[in-house]
Amino acid sequence: MLKSTHKIGQLYVMCSTLICLFIILLILGVMAYNSFDAISSIKWRLFSLTWFPVKNEFGILSMVFGTIMVTLIALILAVPIGVMTAIYTSEFVSKKYRMFLKSLLELLAGIPSIIYGLIGIAFFSTWIQYWFNLQSGRTLLTAGILLAIMILPTIVTLVDDAFQSIPNRYRESAKGLGLYDFEVIKASLLPIAKHDIIGAILLATGRALGETMAVMLVIGSIDKLPTPILNVLMPGQTITSKLGREVSETAIGSTHFSALIFMGLILLLMVIGLTVFTQLRYKSKIRLYE
Amino acid sequence: MNRAIYNRLFKRCIQVSTWLALALLVFLFFVIFLNGIKGLSLDFLFEESKQFGASGGILYQIIGSLLLVFTSILLSFPIALGTAIYKSEYLKDLRFQKLTDILLYVLNGIPSVIFGLFGLIFFVNYLNTGISWFVGSIILAIMMLPTIILSSYRAIDRIPETYREHALGLGLSKWQTIMYALLPQSFKGALTGLLLAMARAIGETAPIMFIATAFSGVRYPTSLFEPISTLPTHILALSQQATNQNALNNAWAASLVLVCIVMVFSISALVIRHRIKS
Repeated sequence: MLKSTHKIGQLYVMCSTLICLFIILLILGVMAYNSFDAISSIKWRLFSLTWFPVKNEFGILSMVFGTIMVTLIALILAVPIGVMTAIYTSEFVSKKYRMFLKSLLELLAGIPSIIYGLIGIAFFSTWIQYWFNLQSGRTLLTAGILLAIMILPTIVTLVDDAFQSIPNRYRESAKGLGLYDFEVIKASLLPIAKHDIIGAILLATGRALGETMAVMLVIGSIDKLPTPILNVLMPGQTITSKLGREVSETAIGSTHFSALIFMGLILLLMVIGLTVFTQLRYKSKIRLYE
Repeated sequence: MNRAIYNRLFKRCIQVSTWLALALLVFLFFVIFLNGIKGLSLDFLFEESKQFGASGGILYQIIGSLLLVFTSILLSFPIALGTAIYKSEYLKDLRFQKLTDILLYVLNGIPSVIFGLFGLIFFVNYLNTGISWFVGSIILAIMMLPTIILSSYRAIDRIPETYREHALGLGLSKWQTIMYALLPQSFKGALTGLLLAMARAIGETAPIMFIATAFSGVRYPTSLFEPISTLPTHILALSQQATNQNALNNAWAASLVLVCIVMVFSISALVIRHRIKS
């Protein structure tokens, strides 16, 4: 009796783990298998600039460019503000307010992305249109700003955790040397927290790369590179917004669909690569017993 | 003297950025609240939508969202708990620990739209299930897995080794140790993960918009294999009728309702976590 429940229990936990593994492999397998059609029939022209399904042109480069561009804008805006805010909350705010602030930030991180999209349409895109005197406010910059807002809570929370985990004796001895707060942070705390900060930024990058709804609503959905190339005030397209807009209009099994899946696979590989790199390089947790 | 100036400048900088972040936070909450409260009324909550959402309420969308998420919990929680136990109690090899860690983070990082694509191909097309509640729940359940696994795992793993030794010393089998010594201790941690996962899942649009939802004409589903209507997809559809002011007002009101539901889940998670810590 005892033995059999023990066996069943063990079987159950093992099966659960295997199911999780199987799901990941299944997702990768299904994506790879379905993009095979596009790879074999279009080959290297997948990496061209024109996306024109009627003429069998499926170039994904402008979408890849859009994804990277938007993510970069988001990082440029969110990383300095996020890290500085985290330094302030961790080093200069009393414990009571700190908990309150962090809880608020976590709630902010929980707002669904579709609502960010709605706010983007209603406010940010009209502001961008007005400030820069554009025909339409749906641009790469709008999407980048929106993404920056979305990843800001992640960066602040994780960087703040990183600073909090530094033992107080580092601060005390640095202060004992007669250093100003600025120097304490720059010379003593930042180097210690550096790994965790980079980890936080990479995690946020992964979020930004894969964000769909908010980006899709404000980016303008034009499959072209901006002219000139760094003009962020032009509409663009990211991989995710392209998928969100076009998948439901495409026949499953066609080359068009397969090309979309290929694009999704590229995104998936980018994100997985980033995650694995982050985990291997910047995280090493060892099990601790008390 | 340079040093003092740098110090002041630095402090000013981080203060300004904190204020900026705070202002942003306040702005977002106010925008959602003020725009949403205009269209919100009891009728709005308890009526079905009419004219493609431009008038009427969101009763079936609320029910649909809740049904979808609770079904996913039923699918996801047993598997997640099992994996967490296996990872904490049976998997001793550090290399395998690292491997499962990486795989879970990979699963956690997969963009939501990819889950939608996967569901569309694998379930709707290969298994021919049609666009349905059930498929949506399975996909959301997969998305919830990493969050629940990691928080349950941390809760189980945090329990000091002495508990395990004492339980084994009393003659309990390994499974009894898990059932009677470890799981009751880690219940709150698992619950936190569950609530956080629900908060995240109920707001997801991209994974379910191809595979589970129909925009109009859906009341509550009568079977698992019927399409369902949800709040996020409803908001998406409304926000694309940008010229129709009524539709937009309803989109804001629906957003406020959705945010409130999300907040209920995430605030409960925060409260429980706070209790664990103190």
